[in-house]
Formats: sequence, structure tokens, C-alpha cells
Amino acid sequence: MNGVLVDITRCVGCGSCAVACKLYNGLNWDVASPAIGEKAALKAHNWTAVETRRIGRDEGKVLRFVKKQCLHCLEPACASACFVSAFKKTREGPVVYNERICVGCRYCMLACPFSIPRYEWDAVYPRVRKCQMCFFRVREGEMPACVSVCPTQALSFGKREELLHEAKARIAAEPNRYINHVYGEHEYGGTSWLYISDVPFEEIGFRTDVSKESIPHWTGRVTKWTLPVAAGWTAILTALYLYTKRRAEAEEGH
Amino acid sequence: MDGFLEHEKEMTRRAFLKMMAGLGLAGLAATAGGCLHHAELSAGGEGWLPYQYNVPGTWPAQVRGRVPIDPSSPSIVRDDRKCILCGQCLEVCRDTQSVLGYYDLPLVDEVVCINCGQCALACPTGALSERDDTEKVWQALEDLNRFVVVQTAPATRVALGEEFGLPPGTWVAGKQVAALRRLGFDAVLDTNFTADLTIMEEATELIKRVKGELPGKPLPQFTSCSPAWVKFCEYYYPDLLPHMSSCKSPQQMFGALAKTYYAKKKNIDPEKIFSVSIMPCTAKKFEAQRPEMNDSGLYWGKPSIRDVDAVLTTRELAKMLKQKGIDLTGLPEEDYDPLMGKCTGGAIIFGATGGVMEAAVRTAYFFITGNEPPPNLLNLTPVRGLSGVKEGAVDVPGVGTVRVAVCHGMANGRQVLEAVRRGRAPWHFVEFMACPGGCIGGGGQPRTAVPPTDEVRARRIASLYDADAKWVWRESHENPEILALYQEFLEHPMSELAEKLLHTEYVSRGHQLRARKTVEAVG
Repeated sequence: MNGVLVDITRCVGCGSCAVACKLYNGLNWDVASPAIGEKAALKAHNWTAVETRRIGRDEGKVLRFVKKQCLHCLEPACASACFVSAFKKTREGPVVYNERICVGCRYCMLACPFSIPRYEWDAVYPRVRKCQMCFFRVREGEMPACVSVCPTQALSFGKREELLHEAKARIAAEPNRYINHVYGEHEYGGTSWLYISDVPFEEIGFRTDVSKESIPHWTGRVTKWTLPVAAGWTAILTALYLYTKRRAEAEEGH
Repeated sequence: MDGFLEHEKEMTRRAFLKMMAGLGLAGLAATAGGCLHHAELSAGGEGWLPYQYNVPGTWPAQVRGRVPIDPSSPSIVRDDRKCILCGQCLEVCRDTQSVLGYYDLPLVDEVVCINCGQCALACPTGALSERDDTEKVWQALEDLNRFVVVQTAPATRVALGEEFGLPPGTWVAGKQVAALRRLGFDAVLDTNFTADLTIMEEATELIKRVKGELPGKPLPQFTSCSPAWVKFCEYYYPDLLPHMSSCKSPQQMFGALAKTYYAKKKNIDPEKIFSVSIMPCTAKKFEAQRPEMNDSGLYWGKPSIRDVDAVLTTRELAKMLKQKGIDLTGLPEEDYDPLMGKCTGGAIIFGATGGVMEAAVRTAYFFITGNEPPPNLLNLTPVRGLSGVKEGAVDVPGVGTVRVAVCHGMANGRQVLEAVRRGRAPWHFVEFMACPGGCIGGGGQPRTAVPPTDEVRARRIASLYDADAKWVWRESHENPEILALYQEFLEHPMSELAEKLLHTEYVSRGHQLRARKTVEAVG
């Protein structure tokens, strides 16, 4: 299982990752909704957004850049919500989307706890769009496009377990530099993308008030009763039916 | 209607079931058609990436990514749509200028950039370029209430022609003046005039430093005309700022004088003057916006007056001319307007690496000895040419041997700076130019060769030295308009008024980054 480690402290905000994403995936540029800068946001054509964050500190402001994209959950809610299985968690790590079978219901967008998927509202045959973690590259042993172009090693690609180890080692080596938290280790059951940072995650646009349980697991606690309840009802109703039938026959027999 | 109804077939139960089964089969087949495709088949990857990135994850790449650019930079803008991630901007920033990678991460609160624009020269797709200020200048030119003065840097006159198909280094000083008049500038003046003035002030300061008359101002003295170099020093060597000459750059000296001396002489309201400069440089845009560059405003008690209102690069001037349909090559040669339009050979060579040093040595020799410098000082070959760090020694009667050094490109500058920091600097005076080749290789110059080559640089430099050799005056102190300026306005070099208008202070930017001396793995 592959993953990517994002070290917020190492990013200089060059935006190479966002450009590489556009180039490799053939995505359009839209000046009105940029992928880099103060107004950067995820869009159907922005699978990666590099946000500019100025954070107040005691010693003055600090400038940080935060790359946002699909986190590629270990147990993705989008895949769980999709009733045609257009989303799939691959064994290589990426959560990929199959536009050929998508019916456009957009349950995935409601289900995603990180609000990542975007919809092509203005297309004739609209698709759901999000980072595919460069599945073809990863399958061939290459890094995702964004990681391959990062000049400062703010992004590193590898086996998720090794990256998790690396993240913890970096935090342990410089405990004064980093917040002691690997974002993505446990969030919603864990994600293939991991983040470490020197500024609190809630200040750079990450939700930290989240469950450690994956969404599919959480909903599974309820939905796992579907079969027993259905079977039970069937049994009860069948029993009632047989009972009333026999009683009716008995009454007729008088 | 009745006949039609008669012919209608009655739907039997069997036919209905057959139809439903057929539709179901068709539906199944269609669904299977979609389902049988692997989910991966539409998982992005419809574009391309440059070859250097298409390697297994563990392989090293030649170069990765690009330089960071602050979207609010006064100097450089980037059109992301044109970027192909070739990495050439990063290489020049890291290897030629030793900026990117020479600081520890994380960032503090700004994108570290010395505004030199070398990245814009190296960019093969034109994604990187100067911030376009031509609209500001068009508006000023159209405003009849404004008196628009323009100054032209030493280096633009040997490069502007390249934008119009002339060979590299073609001398177009007179044509440039004619072109600016045709654009509608009210006064066409010369930065070379204040280049001479810079030499008067800087040579005086040097002599005072040598004599120990300036406490807290050690030797060697550093030149201060290259704003990208000044910012580099403020970032990486703030401890050496006392070495920096307090002289403003020629552009800013001009700006301060245009709205004081020139305004008074011409009897123009300084608030109505719009001061434009044509520069080979993107860092000049930054320099003109430095908050302290409003000394003409302070002179008049109106701090909102800026010394220089707009800075255009050579490329932007060419663009304006082309917008107006002016063909530079067909224009006559014209002369600069009087008062601030005359120059000497010493000012002309400012545009080449070593030029400031050579001009300063000529005038300092005269100031110290009272005699004209010997012929070898008018052709100071040790500081000419394109080697990265050049050294020279000049014997000056009464002082002894004056040792000088010249460097261009900040990676070369670093070698000199490290020597100074370690106290191993035998020099009295060091010239620093941020751009390779000096101003003629500035980030705002025509993209005659991409990436820029030494061949083009050498031809532009040769053109400057040719002009110097033929010029009527060779030494800055011979400029009659400079002498008049001191006589009628400033009194003498480093007078109280000269200090106010022509000298400046620097700020340490050492807290804006965590500087390091060697390159961190970047790119």
C-alpha cells in the first residue's frame, strides 16, 4: 500500500505539484478559480490546490503553503456510498474513479468526510472529479506527478508504513519544530496521504475533531443489522401469516 | 381512426413477457459492458509530464520543479498556464544566484526572492516575466496635467535594438531617445548622468572610508547600485551591511533629483512630475517601491511623492514601441534633453561588470592626486571580462596600492562575501552585480538567447567599452552638468543635501530567512 508524506515545513509554495497535476491529467486552467495562491480551491479541474496561509504567531506571522487533494482513505466513504462501485480502493493505494459506470448521483460527494470530490456541473456528461493519485504511474513504480516534481522533498512517496515511520522519526528528531501529530494516521480510519506540520492542523484548514473510525465502519454498525432485521421480520410475518391462516381454517372447519 | 384501431395488434401475455425479457437482456449487456471495464481505465493520466519526471520513484531526476514566486512581487509574475516544469528557473536561482536552497526551511513569512529576474531570462516558454507596468505609463502619458520624465539606464542602449532584429550589442542610444520622444515623454533624460553622480559620491565616500573619517563604516566598501545585490546582502549577509556604500543607485538618485533639482530649474510642480525609468532590471521595480525611496517627497514636505513612479524593463519599452507601431531601426539619432542628459565614458560602462569599479577608480585617482589618471586606468583590463571574480590593484600616489575586486552573479559574490566575513579581504573596494555580465545581462533585457549566453553578454559589453573609448569625457568628474549640479544645488559631494537626497540606509532581512552557506538538496 503506497502513500505520500506531506511535510508542511518543507514547502516553499512554488506550486510545481499543482502544475504537474494539470499537465499529467490534462486538466484545464481557469484563471477565475486558481489552483495556487490565496484563492486556491479544489475544483473539477483542480485536483490539487496549493493554499497560501498566513498564520499569526507570537513572533509575527508565518507563511505556509498547504497542498490539498484527495487523501485516499484506507476505507473510503465514497466507495462505500457508491451503489455502482464507481469508486475503488486499489491495492496499490490510490482510490480511483470509473466514469464509465458512474450514474452521477453524487452520494460520494456527500459521503466524503474531507469534502474532496467535485462535480462537472457545466458538462453535458458530467463526471465526478478528484485526485487519482496518478494510478498508472504508481502502478509502474513511478511517483505521482506532484511528488515527482517537488523540488524540496516536501512530498515523499513510498509504502505507507515506511512513511508513517519516517514521519514519526522526523517529529522525534525535532520535537520543537513539529506538532506531535501525523495527520492521516488515524483520521477516519487512516489515509494513504499523511501530513506533518509545525503549525496546528486546524489553523491550516484541516478538521481535527474527527473520528478515528472509518465512515464505512461507522455506518456498518447500523447497516450490518439489515439482514438480521429483514430475516427476522420475514420470520415473524411468516409465522403470523401461518398462524392467522390456520386460525381461519379452523374457524371455517366449524 | 377506427381503421387504425382495427389494425392494432393485441398484446398477448407471451409477447409482453418476451419484450420484457429482451429489454432486461439488453440492459444486462449494457451494464456488463460498463462493469467489465476495469475501474482504472479512466483514472486520469490523459496528459503528459516532461521526460525527466517519468522515472521510477527511487531514481534521482536532473532537476525538479521550479522557483517559488510571490504573486504580489513587484518584479516578477508567472503565467502558470505556460509553465512546463523544465526546472531552468530553479537552476539559475540556485546555481547562478545561490538564492533558492541557501536557506533552511520552514519559511518565515515571505517568499525569498532578490527580484533579479534571471529566472525570467532562463524561462523557455515565457511563463516568467516582469510585472507589466506599461499601463501605468500609458495613463501618465495620456494625462495632460502630468509632466512625464524618463531616464534610460546605461545597459538598455546596447540591448533595445535586439528587440527590433538588430544584432546583439548594437548601439541605439540616439534612436532610443527619438523613440521615447515619439511615445510622448516630456523630457528624455539619462540615468548615465546620475551614474556619474554616483561615482562622485561613491568615490568621495571611499576616500573618507580609507582615511577613517566615517566611523562604523569599514573597508572594503561595497557598491550599492544593483538592487538585487543589495537585497541579497540584506538577506544573507546583514552583518556586512556597514560595508555597503550609502549611495543610492543611479536610478534612485535620478528620481530624487528629478522632483527637486530638475523641478526647480524647470519651474515644474513636483507633484505633477511622473518619473519613469527604463531599466534592464526587474529588481529596479522593487527598489523604486522601497518605502524609504521618497526623499524628494520629504524634501518638499509631502511624503506621498515617490522618487520614481514607474519602472519599465527594456522588454516593456520595446512592447510599448511596438504597440504604437514605432520601428526603432528607422528612427534618427537624437540627443538627450539638457540638465540631466549628459554623461561620461565612466557612466557608459556602468552597464558592464567591472564598469562601476573602473569609473570609480578613475575619479578616485583624480580626487586623491588632483591629476588626470594615467592611460592604464582608462583601460583597466583586470576588472573587465566575464570571469566570475576579478581582482585588480592600482597604485595611487600618496595612498599606495588600492586593491579592488569585482564579481557578478551572486554565487560568485558569495565567495567574496565569505572572505570579507572571515576577515580575509585585502580589498578596499568591491563591486557586486547581481546579474551575470552586469546590467547588460539584467533580468529585464531582451531574450536574445534563451537561456542567456556569454556571447550575447560579451557583445553588449564590447559595445559599451567601444563607446567609452570614443567618448569626449572619460571620467565622471568631467561631466559639465554634474559640475553645474554641485555648483547650483548640492554644493559638494556628501554635502548635507546630497546626504539627504542621494544616500540611503539598508534594512537587515536576516530575520526573514534562516540563511545557510551551502546549498540544501533542492531541485
